[in-house]
Amino acid sequence: MEEIVRAEGLKKTFTLSKKQQKIERTGETRRVAVNGLAFSAYRGEIYGLLGPNGAGKTTTLRMLSTLIKPDGGDAFLCGHSVVKDPEKVRDRIGFLTSDLKLEGFFTPDYLFDFFGAMHGVGKETLARRKKELFSRFGIDKFAEVRVRDLSTGMLQKVSLVVSIVHDPEVVIFDEPTNGLDVLTAKVVTDFLRELKGMGKSILLSTHIFSLVEKLCDRVGIIIDGRLAAEGTLEDIAQGNLEETFFRIYRERKGEIA
Amino acid sequence: MKLAALMRKEFHRFFHDPRLVVTMLLPGLLIFLLYSVMGSAMNGKDGKNYRVYCDGTPPLVTALVEELAKKSDDTVEWLPLEDEEAARAEVKAKKAAAVLKFGEGFDPLTEGGNVEIVYDPASEDSLNFYSLVTASLNELGRRFQVDEVLLSAADAMGRSVMQSVLPLIVVCFIFSACMSVTLESVAGEKERGTLSTVLVTSVKRSHIALGKIVPLSCISMLGALSSFLGTALSMPKLMGVSLGFLGGYSAWSYVLLCLLILSAVPLVVSLIALVSTLSRSVKEASAYTSVVMILVMVVSLVSAFVPVMGDWSVALPVLNATVQMQALLGGALPVWQSLVSVGANLFYTAVLVFVITKLFSSERVMFGK
Repeated sequence: MEEIVRAEGLKKTFTLSKKQQKIERTGETRRVAVNGLAFSAYRGEIYGLLGPNGAGKTTTLRMLSTLIKPDGGDAFLCGHSVVKDPEKVRDRIGFLTSDLKLEGFFTPDYLFDFFGAMHGVGKETLARRKKELFSRFGIDKFAEVRVRDLSTGMLQKVSLVVSIVHDPEVVIFDEPTNGLDVLTAKVVTDFLRELKGMGKSILLSTHIFSLVEKLCDRVGIIIDGRLAAEGTLEDIAQGNLEETFFRIYRERKGEIA
Repeated sequence: MKLAALMRKEFHRFFHDPRLVVTMLLPGLLIFLLYSVMGSAMNGKDGKNYRVYCDGTPPLVTALVEELAKKSDDTVEWLPLEDEEAARAEVKAKKAAAVLKFGEGFDPLTEGGNVEIVYDPASEDSLNFYSLVTASLNELGRRFQVDEVLLSAADAMGRSVMQSVLPLIVVCFIFSACMSVTLESVAGEKERGTLSTVLVTSVKRSHIALGKIVPLSCISMLGALSSFLGTALSMPKLMGVSLGFLGGYSAWSYVLLCLLILSAVPLVVSLIALVSTLSRSVKEASAYTSVVMILVMVVSLVSAFVPVMGDWSVALPVLNATVQMQALLGGALPVWQSLVSVGANLFYTAVLVFVITKLFSSERVMFGK
């Protein structure tokens, strides 16, 4: 199998502000969010990073999408380093997270063209992809409606389509179904399956066991910024992911309070 | 292509939102209406009575002047010219509108002759009456020699008002116009998370910075121009000053004036964009920008009261533009100082764009909580 994402000893440390120290009642000024994380994902698979809140999943995905720089280590996407070639990496990935928003003033049609131009997609290719993706996800019905007037489900579809406007090889999703109602969550999970069907490699982070069981070919369990286990569901969980996760968690962190 | 798309987006965002266009252009209209109303209130209502001293004005001329005056519900009171010095003093004291003297052989029906008109261009009544007389003489279609005696230098007065007030007004309008669009476009996009969506694409950070600064500067220029025109057009009514003196400046003066304004706008936009980038919300950016605006206003105000600024002022951003604008409006032509000021402002803009580019790459600034 062709390795498409490779993380090598990724490390990220954040400085805690006085306010954060007060909220968390801690005296520590630095916090290690990701500590020497290493894993690989292969072409055409859905790889899930599973872990509790604060485990370092979002930080890892942000480093892979080049929004933040690692303090140590490196990661390679489609052979390009996130440290040395961030622009090349950005052209090969689609990144979707609830932190990234679309300007409510514009229409899906305008935003698709705009982000296409941001990724340097040619006019003809862009028109072809727009026709194909808009009709595939039913966006053509509300292509000229301003984003601020769309329902959550419609908006999620637009965000998904805009994130893959440039036909990226790797699609990275941070907590793809977090905070979504059942219908919109289904739109997302169906979309991920579609992407896999298109031969895309997908990297997602989640703390929802059922999502991993439903979608992921392989999973990496991340606790305290370190990879605690990695493999196919069959390899690491033997059919019971939830039980396996809590066993590993207890081994690392002790009993759950 | 990416930079062009970024710029187009900013223009599209502005020009397709009627609310933004109206809020940007409305101040100019409001200023015009407000100042005009204030000017009318300060300078009295229509239906004036012009008191004019004359030495036997021909009936045809008086009839024409009266007829023209009647169009604005004004009347003319002809007073015999007995003591010219006393009459001139009344004109100067704004108690009379003018003194009219017709030369020997003045005949409006045949060849013409010469007319001497003593008026005070600093007085609106006097200036209006002067216009009535010249219009009446023109209507007669003869060649008259009009000898004007100005009791105060219109140019000097207009220039002095404009020299001290206009640069301040221009800087003020530039700042408020830049503030309204830049805060929303930079701090607003950062706060809403839409700027991060652009940051995750392969577009260069420098293009994102330029894609903001260039269109926002053009849009701000429109806003500043609207407010400036509103002020300039209402100025005659507000201050009783004629804008006729504007014709006294050379083309070079106007070119330099435009260059100074053109260089100040991107500088102010970049400055506000920098503050907006460092801020976490529009509210925070707005508070910081207000402090910067007060600083700039104070500096501009100081320059208005310090008669001679050294050449060192060309190196100081924004201040250099106000100082050179004052010099230009005062009738001087400080070519190299103005050009160096323009160059300095563009250099500072480039430095600010570079800093903003770096900040767009800083995860602490862009994603720090």
